[in-house]
Amino acid sequence: MENAASILFCLTLFYVATTSRIKAYVTALRIQGILLAVMLVIPFLYNFSVFGIILPASILLIKVIIVPRYINKVIVKLDIKRRIEPTIQQMVFLPLVIATMTIIFIVSHIISQSTHLDVIPFASGFSAIVTGIYLIMFRKKLIVHVCGFLILENGIFLFGTAVASELPVMIELGMLLDVFVVVFLMGIALNRIRSTFENIDVTNLGRLKD
Amino acid sequence: MYQFYTFIVLPLLTAGLCYFVRNIRLQYLFSLAVAALHLAVSICLFTGLYVEPLPSLFGADALGKLFLLILSNVYFWVVLVSYAYLKRPVSPRAEDGKKIYFSLLNFYLAANTAAMLSSHLGMYWVCAEATTLSVAPLVYYYRSDESLEAMWKYLFLVSVGIAFAFIGILLLTLSAQGGALEGKDLFFTTLAGGAASLNPIWLKAAFIFIFVGLSTKIGIAPMHYGDIDATSNAPSPVAALMSGSLRLTALLGVLRIYQIIVHTTCAQFASRLLIMGAMLSLFVAFIFMFKVNNYKRMIAYSSVEHLGLITLGIGTGGLAFVGAMYHALYNSIIKVVLFLMAGNIHSRYRSREIGSVRAVLTLMPLSGWIFLAGFLAISGIPPFGIFFSELRIFEGILFSDKPWLLAFVMFFLLFIFINMSRNIFSMLYTAGGSPDESDSGEKFEITHFAAAVLLLIACIISIASPAILYDTIEQIANDFGIYP
Repeated sequence: MENAASILFCLTLFYVATTSRIKAYVTALRIQGILLAVMLVIPFLYNFSVFGIILPASILLIKVIIVPRYINKVIVKLDIKRRIEPTIQQMVFLPLVIATMTIIFIVSHIISQSTHLDVIPFASGFSAIVTGIYLIMFRKKLIVHVCGFLILENGIFLFGTAVASELPVMIELGMLLDVFVVVFLMGIALNRIRSTFENIDVTNLGRLKD
Repeated sequence: MYQFYTFIVLPLLTAGLCYFVRNIRLQYLFSLAVAALHLAVSICLFTGLYVEPLPSLFGADALGKLFLLILSNVYFWVVLVSYAYLKRPVSPRAEDGKKIYFSLLNFYLAANTAAMLSSHLGMYWVCAEATTLSVAPLVYYYRSDESLEAMWKYLFLVSVGIAFAFIGILLLTLSAQGGALEGKDLFFTTLAGGAASLNPIWLKAAFIFIFVGLSTKIGIAPMHYGDIDATSNAPSPVAALMSGSLRLTALLGVLRIYQIIVHTTCAQFASRLLIMGAMLSLFVAFIFMFKVNNYKRMIAYSSVEHLGLITLGIGTGGLAFVGAMYHALYNSIIKVVLFLMAGNIHSRYRSREIGSVRAVLTLMPLSGWIFLAGFLAISGIPPFGIFFSELRIFEGILFSDKPWLLAFVMFFLLFIFINMSRNIFSMLYTAGGSPDESDSGEKFEITHFAAAVLLLIACIISIASPAILYDTIEQIANDFGIYP
């Protein structure tokens, strides 16, 4: 079941790699949030506890409802053009992502022979981390960078479930809150950047240098 | 629990209070009271006068106590001068930045104290990220294009960096698998105690991720860009706070994982990595000092240099480690002096360009002389503490297995000193070309008072060399398996 969810998670990464619409990024983030929540709920299906439901519920709330809504609001409010502006060809980006994922899966498989870990969630998580970084590197629009950062964070979450680390719930909630505030602040900053500069992309951010 | 309340809960409550109280003077008085109380309790904790057990996930070891004292000291002086700073005229757009200034400062104090005192890696991560969140809006205080760009870059780069550090923490769990620590919580002491059973490959990977990730916040090259932009564009008290305490908060994270790794076979690998990062930072500072033309950036690069020296000392170990701990203390004090005086100069000349600042000693004798003293202190001129701590670091390097490193370090430091002095003397002495020259002389302000007292503190500590400080640092060194 966890493996199935992880593979669906990987599919969202392909979706992100092929699409050229910003809306699709937000949808992908929503799906990823749902998948993460589902994966966290699975262990509690058999022995239900109210305490264990807090984390998946807050993931649903923050990653599926609040953050995507907020990003959508920012997109509409700032009247960002709905197309991403890649710095490399889309036809190069997809093979890049596929190649990276292949390498990650193969390496994870090799690693799993010496260390105990769930290969598929582990590799999916890592792929999401790398894809997030690619999005930050190869896209011009700052709002896409924010989405890339969120995909990276989702990847880390998945990665965390794969290495079976059990952090106290308080810390996990703290992490969620941190990520939420980061996105919130980035939204405010984007708002200001919009009112200062014409476009919201990295070409505007070149004032500070020596 | 009173200690915990004063350290974390009280600043949080004050942050909320300051948000709702509109009067800035009232906000200042509340914040100052909290800062003074925090400093008093930190001193009590440091000297062992009054120690209480902290709740789970928190704890105070020697390292935490020292860094907490550094934070508390820097924070107190920063808050003390903040009101005078906020009264200075700014552009109309920047007025609304003042309303949340103290609220964010208090939140910063709570988050940073929690990071210093956390005994759990996850807790440390959450708090370290929270400090970034509290500082980022403060960087945007002036509401200018540059400060907006600096805030965006800082927020983004550091958030991604910290996310990397979290991957490192997860890898650390992985390294515990199959050993005695499997399934245990990520407490530093537990991990350091059973470090020998950790899987070395995963441990190395964890160290790389945590070190590289936190480098964005410490300002270790090549990840220092966001940090330089943020410190040079933030208002001076905030820049002082960042240089004096926030960089150390991130360094604490690296030290925590280093504390685990020194007890394993990977110790040499980690120390080599630290030394590489440190040398690269010194090199970057060396190169950029040649071309820097903004004095706040220059001080920010000086921070890169000194954090590099501290990291070098930690990586070298032995006496250099002890020197690094002293250096962390002195550097934080002197950086506050430099940034406060740079702020005074900025508010008079309205420019951060070295070329457009002239004859500071004639026009602003107080700030000028204190700035000069601060520069001499940061360059390692006795009797200011940095001289002694650098001497210890150098001695440690000389008697380590890589004495040749010292030649490079000396070379870099020499040119950094020459270039900094060239810039600073041109600001202080070159005559003419300054705005309203007739209006020379300046009033004694609270910033001068704070800077002078801090310089005095740096002198007194280095000359008196209190036993309690040495004992604490020795205790820290022992925790790292170093017996100087």
